[in-house]
This record gives sequence, structure tokens and C-alpha cells, in this order.
Amino acid sequence: MFSQVLTISRFTIIESLRNRLLLLSLLVIGISFSLVEFIGDLAITEHRVTQVAILAAFLRMSAVVMVTLFVVSSTVRELHDKTLEMILAMPVRRGSYYLGKLLGYFYIALLISIIFAALLFLYADPEQVLIWSASLFLELVLVVALSLVMLFTFNQVPSALTGVFIIYGASRIVTSIFLMAKYPIIAHTSIAQQFMDSFIELLTWLLPDLHHFTQTEWLAYNTADWAILLPLLGQTLVYLVFLSFIALFDFYRKNF
Amino acid sequence: MHYYHFLHKDRPVSDVPGSVKLFLLLTLFLQLLWHSFQEPIVAKAEDLAAPLSTRTYVLSSLGEPIAASKFLNLWLQAFDNQPGASISFHQLNYPRLTQWLDTSLELDPRGHYPMLVAARVYGSVKDPEKQRIMMDYIFYKFNENPQKYWRWLAHAVITAKHELKDFDLALKYANALAEQATDDNVPYWAKDMKIIVLEDMGEVEAAKILVGALIDSKEITDPYELKFLAQKIAVLEEKSFKKRQSVEK
Repeated sequence: MFSQVLTISRFTIIESLRNRLLLLSLLVIGISFSLVEFIGDLAITEHRVTQVAILAAFLRMSAVVMVTLFVVSSTVRELHDKTLEMILAMPVRRGSYYLGKLLGYFYIALLISIIFAALLFLYADPEQVLIWSASLFLELVLVVALSLVMLFTFNQVPSALTGVFIIYGASRIVTSIFLMAKYPIIAHTSIAQQFMDSFIELLTWLLPDLHHFTQTEWLAYNTADWAILLPLLGQTLVYLVFLSFIALFDFYRKNF
Repeated sequence: MHYYHFLHKDRPVSDVPGSVKLFLLLTLFLQLLWHSFQEPIVAKAEDLAAPLSTRTYVLSSLGEPIAASKFLNLWLQAFDNQPGASISFHQLNYPRLTQWLDTSLELDPRGHYPMLVAARVYGSVKDPEKQRIMMDYIFYKFNENPQKYWRWLAHAVITAKHELKDFDLALKYANALAEQATDDNVPYWAKDMKIIVLEDMGEVEAAKILVGALIDSKEITDPYELKFLAQKIAVLEEKSFKKRQSVEK
């Protein structure tokens, strides 16, 4: 069974390399470098902090968008080309297929984290960059799993991408929204407002704590240490397993 | 063969139905017509709008307050250079400008960028009213966190003394520096600015008393600072002596 998983993941990696994903990553690096040097010329003080803050935010968002687009488009192509049906016609369990794809995409997420971190080494403390890129990898792991869930649920690229970006965005800002709802400037007691408050609180329970991941502050002010990764790793494992079972639940129910 | 395939993979243009080609040209013409009816694009200087709440910027940057703050700094700094129009800092609404600086500091409380532009960019315009607004803003922020913002108030003392020629204002800031910026990381030249202001105001005796009191307080242990103060006493005594002589004559 494990050899099947490894074969599927190997072919996922080969596909990504043939799709020139690495070339695209290098292109993003080139654009980011030009952008950050331009910003460096504009800043009149806190030159390095300004460059690092904007570069880190840009790279983080680019990594998430690239991984999501790749996972969704590559998997949907397999669905539409009937490659998936051909694989499942062989003695391969659906769980093995899912795990194989997941491992292949994790490898791609790792590559992107490393490539993007390489540029940051020019502008930030090396240890902080390593912590930041480890955290980016964990974040991308969740993005990969979320993309697969959305795709198995919706089957279509636009709906899957919309789903991923809404949930990802909500995971990053849900804590701020929760605090705004909990400590409003004007107190409110209406039933509709209470319902919304409860709904937002429910979201904080259901969504991963992405606002703790890959923080720009670490690079700008050297505030991170390796221990910071432990809770992030815990959250990643818990949510990855959760998302995987949602994906498998949908995948096992699917008729081809 | 490979490149030939790429170059000639499409069918010839003659295969496209005539109606499609016609509508393509018509719609292009329609777009050009539409554009010709629009008002001409004219460069006009825009007023600086009030900033949104800090939370809005946190949310719209997907929880990246530091990046949002740095981006706002650059945007605000470049506001005098709008597309096709250049406005001077004089034309900016200064009270509103301080709101933007405050928003940036709230997004990134560790940053010093807004304080620097307040002191050296917006505070350097040749308009005393606007300079005072910026100096007041620096003083207000200093009162929030004296140990962090002391260097910007020191800058404000110099601006008040040399550019605004308002010695009372300079003394007010220098007093605040002496009384509130008490951390070890604050250099003695900043804490002792009050002496220099008093000296420049002609209050030689008051400055002398202050220096003597500082030495007697035993709070100053730095040998360089003590040496500086001792030299200052000597200079002040000489000035005081000359002043007395001129009065007697």
C-alpha cells in the first residue's frame, strides 16, 4: 500500500516540475526582489524593516495563491481527464490515492517555502527566516489539505478556489473579527447581533489559528524562537487530520 | 517542426465567420466612442481623507498590521506626489496628517517611521503653524511613552528653539525631557537640554542652579556627564561674571 502512495506522490511531483511551477516561483522571487528594492529606495528610515515587512507579506500571499492554484488545477485535470478513474480501476484504495497526492503536494509546498525563504535571507536575520519558512510550510500544508477538500466537495475550479480563499482569509482575520464583536464601541443587545456574535465565536472554534502562523513581526523585529513552532505544529497536525477526513468522507462517497 | 506547430496551430483568419469579424470591429469602435464621450482625464490634487480605523487596515491586510503600517508610511510619504499633480506639504491638512501617523503607529507600535516624518519631513516646512502642529503631536506621543520617543522630542526642542524661535515652547519640551525621559538609555545631552535652552534664554543663573542641583542630586553617575556638567558650570559662571560686569559699567 505504501509503495502505491509513494508512486502517486512521485508522479504528482513530476507533474509539478513539468508544469514549470519552480520557474514560476523563481519569477515571483524576481518580481519580489524588484519590488522590495524599489520600496527600499522610497523609505527614508527603518529601511530594512519596511522592506522585510512588505516582502514577507507579499511572499506569504504569493505562496498561498500559487499552491492553491496548482493543487486545484492539477487535481481537477485528473478528474476531467479520467486519470483518476483509471487509477481507481486498478487495485488502489481511495485512501492511498488521497495520501499520495497529499504527500506530493507537501513536497511542492516545502520547495516553495525554501525558495521564498532564500530571498528573505538577504534582508532578515537567518534564524528568523528559518522559523518563518518552517511556519510558512505548515501553513501551506493546511492550504493543500483545504484545497483538496474544496475540490472534492465542489468539483469545479471557480467554486473550489472561492471556497479556499474565503476559508483561508477568514482563518487569518477571524480573531480580529471576534475581538471587534466582543468589545464593540457601541454596546448592542439585539437578537440578530447576538446571533452574529455567536456565529463568529463558532467560527473561531472551527477555523485554524492562522493568524499565529508566519508572522511578519518575527522577521521585522526578530521576536521568534524555535519554541513558537510547537503550537503551530500542533494546530497543523490537528487540522490536517480533520481536513483529511472531510476530504476522504467526500471522496469515498463520490461516484465516477 | 515543433515550432511550426506552435506558429500554425490556429486556423486561418478566413475561417472566422464574417459576422464575428464585423462585430469585433463594431464593438471596438463602440468602446472608442464610449471613451470619447467621457470627461477628459485631468490631474487634480486630492485632499487627504481621514484614515479608517486600525481594525479595518488589519482586516484588509489579512492580519498583517506591520506590513500595512509600512505600506501606509510609504503611501503617506508620497501623497504630495499624486498622479499628474504635485502638491506641497504646506497644502496638506496637518491635523488629519497626525491622524494618519497615529494609525500607522497603532498598526506597528515598535516603528519610529511616523515620528521621523513628523519631526524631519512634515515638521520642517516653512510654516510655523504647521510646524507647531507637528511638534505638539511629537510632544503628545512623548507623553504616552517618554522612554521610547525621547529622541523625537529632543528634535522638537531644537526646532522650537532655532526655527520657531519660541524659547518658552523649547523650555517646556526640554523640561519634559529632563523630568520624564529617565531611562539609562537616554543620553545626558538629551536630559540636559533644559540647561542649554535656559542658557540661550539668558537665564544664566537659573541654568547654573539647575546644573548644580543635578550634580548634588547624586543621580548622575556617568563620569562623562559629570565632566560635561562641571564644564558647563564653569562656562555659566564666566557668562554670569561678564553679565554682572556689563551691568556695573
